[in-house]
Amino acid sequence: MPIGGKKQPPEANEFESVVVHSTISGRPWQLDGHWNRMFEQRVIWDYDTEGFEQISALDGGESLEWCYRCGKCIPVCPVDLVGNYGPMRLHQLVQQGQDLFASDQAWLCTTCMNCLRVCPKEVNLIKVMPAVREVAVTNGNVPAELQDVFEKSFRYGNALGQNPKRRAAWAKGLDVRQLPDDPAPVDVLMIVEDYWSYHPRGQEAARAFAQIANALGVDWAILGAEEKTIGDSQRLAGEKGLFESLMEDNVATLDRYEFARIVTPDPHGYNALRNVYPTYGHNYEVLHYTQLLAPLIDRIEWNRSLDYKVTFHDPCYLGRHNGEYDAPRRLLESIPGLTMTEMARCRENGYCCGGGGGGMWLDGLTANHTTERLSERRVREAVETGADVLAVCCPYEVSRFEDAAKSTGNDQLKVLDIVEMMAEAMFA
Amino acid sequence: MVTNSVVVIGGGPAGLEAAASVAELGTSVVLVERRGFLGGTPIAENYANLTPHMESAEVAMGRLIERVTSNPLIDVRLEAEVSACRGAAGAFTITVGDQQIDAGSVILATGFQHFDPGAETQMYGYYEHPDVIALQDLEAMLKTHDVVRPSNGEPPKRLCFVQCVGSRDRQIGNEYCSKVCCGVASKEAIEVRQLLPDCKVFIFYIDMRMYGYWENQIYWPAQEQHHVQYIKGIITEVLAKDGRLLVRGEDTTMGRPMEVLMDMVVLSVGMEPSAGTRSMAQLFGVQQNKYGFIDSVRAPLDTVTTSVPGIYSCGAALGPADLEDCASSAAAAAVKSITSQRLRVSAG
Repeated sequence: MPIGGKKQPPEANEFESVVVHSTISGRPWQLDGHWNRMFEQRVIWDYDTEGFEQISALDGGESLEWCYRCGKCIPVCPVDLVGNYGPMRLHQLVQQGQDLFASDQAWLCTTCMNCLRVCPKEVNLIKVMPAVREVAVTNGNVPAELQDVFEKSFRYGNALGQNPKRRAAWAKGLDVRQLPDDPAPVDVLMIVEDYWSYHPRGQEAARAFAQIANALGVDWAILGAEEKTIGDSQRLAGEKGLFESLMEDNVATLDRYEFARIVTPDPHGYNALRNVYPTYGHNYEVLHYTQLLAPLIDRIEWNRSLDYKVTFHDPCYLGRHNGEYDAPRRLLESIPGLTMTEMARCRENGYCCGGGGGGMWLDGLTANHTTERLSERRVREAVETGADVLAVCCPYEVSRFEDAAKSTGNDQLKVLDIVEMMAEAMFA
Repeated sequence: MVTNSVVVIGGGPAGLEAAASVAELGTSVVLVERRGFLGGTPIAENYANLTPHMESAEVAMGRLIERVTSNPLIDVRLEAEVSACRGAAGAFTITVGDQQIDAGSVILATGFQHFDPGAETQMYGYYEHPDVIALQDLEAMLKTHDVVRPSNGEPPKRLCFVQCVGSRDRQIGNEYCSKVCCGVASKEAIEVRQLLPDCKVFIFYIDMRMYGYWENQIYWPAQEQHHVQYIKGIITEVLAKDGRLLVRGEDTTMGRPMEVLMDMVVLSVGMEPSAGTRSMAQLFGVQQNKYGFIDSVRAPLDTVTTSVPGIYSCGAALGPADLEDCASSAAAAAVKSITSQRLRVSAG
């Protein structure tokens, strides 16, 4: 505290510490955890093995106790950058006898997989977190905001709770074939997923995609009102049962039509179709929309050039989870006039937007444990590059980053899906 | 008298391997052992199973002893001690009891002894609390499948290991890492978990030093399959409390003190040169390092040559060593003890 007692309002910085400036010297004083620590129990009274026994008995929960505390996961954990988190900390928490099944800590992980990328012991939160959350779900310990999404997904087949009959409303006025109306065989079956189907900004991207696909002569169609969400984030948030029931419905729907390939704009759905469906015996050729379009760029007739300085945000479930870093960049680089600049955290080390693993629907809970949203931090990283457009190719991200740009006072930063820019350069 | 025979001093893992190797290369050996039996510390201190493959110490050492006793070129002298050495390389005369033995080369395989935890500067209470024991005490219990609290004869519900007792400590004078204790403690932790599935086992450590394959031969299985809890932070005192032991230390990854009750505390004691290593080093006049171990003066690429021509050393007489180290340096010493004589002869 400043000597003399003239308090200045504290300013929060990004590491959850508080700085006040001395009224005498002007020197900053850091008021961090030391102050709180007096009120917490300091001495560790016991270490417990029971938590690990329970968690390691779960299918997928085996690896949490493999942690040997090297701490490599912590600096790359996106949640730790705005809070105090990471696999090693979860390991400590369980070893000290806390009940992870009943703790908020079970819900902060976005399953972005950056920890697993660096973990020498292969502690795999992508498997641990869903297993732990499934127990929490069974016990009824689900954050209300997430439970709401589970119920909407179950009832309406989409996370937004929108009318299933209006799935294809975005396509109105466009030449988009719907298989229920015209079930002839098709090359590309587009699974539009929830946010491109219903979110106003997602619908704009969907419309841009439709125009591009038609201009390039792609033989494609959608499922219209028969589409239900793949529900991969619901699975990772602990609702495996819901995921499986959606999968049953989706497979039954897909069985009715003849198509060569599935394309989706949603890296989460893409991940499930590519990696999870096969474990249940359902095998499809699946592409992310960037992978469909990237080989076709030579066919594109550009109409104008875009004077944009763009930085690209790698979706965790397209990049780290599925190894695709190049297709989106090839599309961006093909747009005339556009210049690319990379953020420090990109590709394999891309920073998470906070939306994965259920994080999309846990804003309230996460806010209680973090100094800012992950999306806000990411927006500030984008602004630091000097870019005027933050390019995305995951339907979660446009709304997340647009909100974050506003809340961080960076309204000048445009958030655009890659297809929106392509359409602008092709058709405007 | 000029002879090409070799005297090996010490009948533990290194001495046995050295004697067997020399004889298998066709040279006669006299193996001198102070104790009344062969096998060295693994047998004398009742080791249960050996790192890293958990083979019974008696079975594994028995195989090596058989290799020695069945070889007609090896003359084993038990309950025998060397009291003098005259001569030089190629023509040593060594006094064993009242006999004089001629030798071209000598191999010192006199080994180590466990650090005495009573000499610890920390308050571990090895001699005060019956339930504070050392690694080799637990080995003896494991050997008879009878791990119980010495104070009351009951199986422990909570048992912990404290690493680096008597090692890596300037005040104690043992600045070196004893190399095997992390692996041995983890091995014993696995064995305790197998024997007493209800017993929770903890290992308090400064840093786990599992060099090479021991990492995933011992450490990872202990943690991943046997649920041994590793806690980074060393115990600094052990206090009696309500008939149990309160271990106190600092959890260094949490930055918080810990006070945890245990039924048994196992001190992971390190290695020191044995009395035999100290006395034989002096008797043969070989250079010792500041800790009393025998110096290998041409290290690192020659690990067995001492400062005195014709005298070689192997195993834990050279410093902390695991069994693999002992077998390797013993074979190297065997070869050097023979080839040095041949080179001398051919050089005239």
